[in-house]
Amino acid sequence: MQVPPSTEPPAILGTFQLTDHNGRDVDAGSFRGSFVLVFFGFTHCRVVCPRALTKLSAALNALGEISVRLAALYITVDPDRDNPQVMRDYLRAYPSILGLTGSRAQIDDAKRNFRVFARRGAPSPDDGGYDVPHTAITYLLDPEGVVVAHFNDAIEVSDLIARLGSHLKNYTPAEVTRRD
Amino acid sequence: MNNPGGSPHPAAGLDRLQIGHLRHFANLSRQPPNQWDLMKGKGYGQEDFGGYRFQLAYMAYALALTHRHRLPAAPGVFKPIFERLIGKMLLPEVWMYWRDVSRGGSIFNAHLSSLYVEQWDPVIRDNIMYSAYLQSMALMYHYLFDDDRYAQPGALTLRFWSYFWGGEEKRFVYDEKSLNAHLYWQMVESGYLGVACEPNCTFQICNQPAILGFRLHDLVYGGSIATDVVSGYEQAWKDFGRIGDNGHYNIMLAQDTKVVRPNIGKAVWVDAWCGALMNMWNRDFVHAHYAGQAKDFLKPGSDGEFSVITGERPLVMGQTIVSDSCDFGWMAAWASEMGDDTTLRGLLKHADRHMSPRWSDGGLHYPRNDAATDADGNATMIEPMSGNVLVGYARLNIPDGLWRFYNEPWDASRFAEPALTRVSDDLDVSKAWFDAVANRLEFSLDGRGVASNGEVVLGNLRSRGRWSLHRDGTVIARGESDLPGKTSGDVDFQPTEDGLRLRHLDAGPGAYVMTFEA
Repeated sequence: MQVPPSTEPPAILGTFQLTDHNGRDVDAGSFRGSFVLVFFGFTHCRVVCPRALTKLSAALNALGEISVRLAALYITVDPDRDNPQVMRDYLRAYPSILGLTGSRAQIDDAKRNFRVFARRGAPSPDDGGYDVPHTAITYLLDPEGVVVAHFNDAIEVSDLIARLGSHLKNYTPAEVTRRD
Repeated sequence: MNNPGGSPHPAAGLDRLQIGHLRHFANLSRQPPNQWDLMKGKGYGQEDFGGYRFQLAYMAYALALTHRHRLPAAPGVFKPIFERLIGKMLLPEVWMYWRDVSRGGSIFNAHLSSLYVEQWDPVIRDNIMYSAYLQSMALMYHYLFDDDRYAQPGALTLRFWSYFWGGEEKRFVYDEKSLNAHLYWQMVESGYLGVACEPNCTFQICNQPAILGFRLHDLVYGGSIATDVVSGYEQAWKDFGRIGDNGHYNIMLAQDTKVVRPNIGKAVWVDAWCGALMNMWNRDFVHAHYAGQAKDFLKPGSDGEFSVITGERPLVMGQTIVSDSCDFGWMAAWASEMGDDTTLRGLLKHADRHMSPRWSDGGLHYPRNDAATDADGNATMIEPMSGNVLVGYARLNIPDGLWRFYNEPWDASRFAEPALTRVSDDLDVSKAWFDAVANRLEFSLDGRGVASNGEVVLGNLRSRGRWSLHRDGTVIARGESDLPGKTSGDVDFQPTEDGLRLRHLDAGPGAYVMTFEA
């Protein structure tokens, strides 16, 4: 008897189809050949995103020359406000990081593919602004687009540097998905 | 002593009632597949808190606490029971309710039913009330016994096929790592609020076992999943509050409206279950609220007895809810974790006087009784979950027992210490601990006059040099490493491939001490 295929938990696919902050259409394939760091957030974020982007920038700087093998992406979970121009302006403070945005549907797809949580909060009665609580995990994709590690928000920058350095130095194409 | 903090529990051993609970767990675990004698509750279809999955899981948790705190040198007692309990967790009778419950339609998600589809895989979406128990039991087994059998690909495979309906086989393939990863990412996707039980219903209580599972994963494999999740979980629940205006734990969060459901009716199980488990990672908070919460639930009786106040459940959609609340059992388990000896003793005294304790095949349980009170007004209602499992859990636990289990990792050096690595089903073990300072293994055996096999294997002796085995104060054998030398009297002592096999066939109990010279 043919046994039907079993269901599988949704993997961390690590795929997206978005627009970068320079207005170019990009997808995960655009970065093949490089390691890719991915962080989801929104430019109105007051605490979590600045902290994470500062940490990522510091890690990229500390890695020195080998960081050229590493692209860092900041995907917005707030496409209504974060158009490419807004993201470009915001990321001037973090020049190593490329911002990505898209339609709501594209962003929802990206969130689903990374199993990211983000939910728009209630508007403020003062100015109508709102927060978007979101997952604060940084994903690491290898040059073949496989998610090989993820780092929680609490990771120390020294630890992040060490782990990134290890992945970059020890990479072989057969590397398998695992949790770091 | 190898027990942290110099706990007196291993040295004291188990009393007759505690042994009876362990024996009952073992008896239930040995029932053939799909025989569930004494375990069926009032409700239909494994949907409520009396479901087999809860009984199986909390028997496993009680075994873990007992092994860790009271019988540390007796893995051979617990390991086979654990394996049988996990085997039963994989039976369709335990998890097939999900095919129906996944469709929604309860009062909490009726308006969303059109969005739900029938789901056969019981761990793929929601249903943390099953998946977290399977996850935590498998990882607990690995942690306790250093055995990775549930880490093998497909080791936690859920299968269903019927000759009579349903077409081809359904098969859902997991192992402890893939299941743990899946639960972790479900947590992430929820923003750390937690994974739902029934669709749209995220219970505080039912996410605690997943946290325990994450902790065990960290202990086995390294990492900090539990810390990550607890941190996110704390942050996420700050907006809603763990405690309602009346001082009792909020029950659940509706995912769509983000409205919490408080424990307005002061249901005992809500606080007691949540507190008994959450204590493992949130001890100060749980202890701080315990007295104020418990006072609303306890009814003093004569001679120090306590029963619990169980209110009438309101009609829902015009219907009477038929389910097992397990209030009494959860209150006892909570009191045991809180170290509230007065309440625990009062509850156990009440159970022993008014809830018809029954001994069967050496096992102790309190059989299901649906009557609220007896003719004298004493509370008598007890469900299988309480009578089979939770009263035993309470009696076997120690103060902050789950907290210690979670926060005081058990040193892996124990796997090299002399221990009872195999114990035949017909022996009760009331004491088993290795005193590393005194270099001696103490254990007590009882065949209850019915043992026909009566075997224990004493393992991990190879590097221990010369030893002497005493029974009830008298030397009965001497030897070296895992070889027996001189024996005296009628001692059946044989080397086996994994240690020394001792047979205890006496009608009475025997207190053994094995001392080592090395």
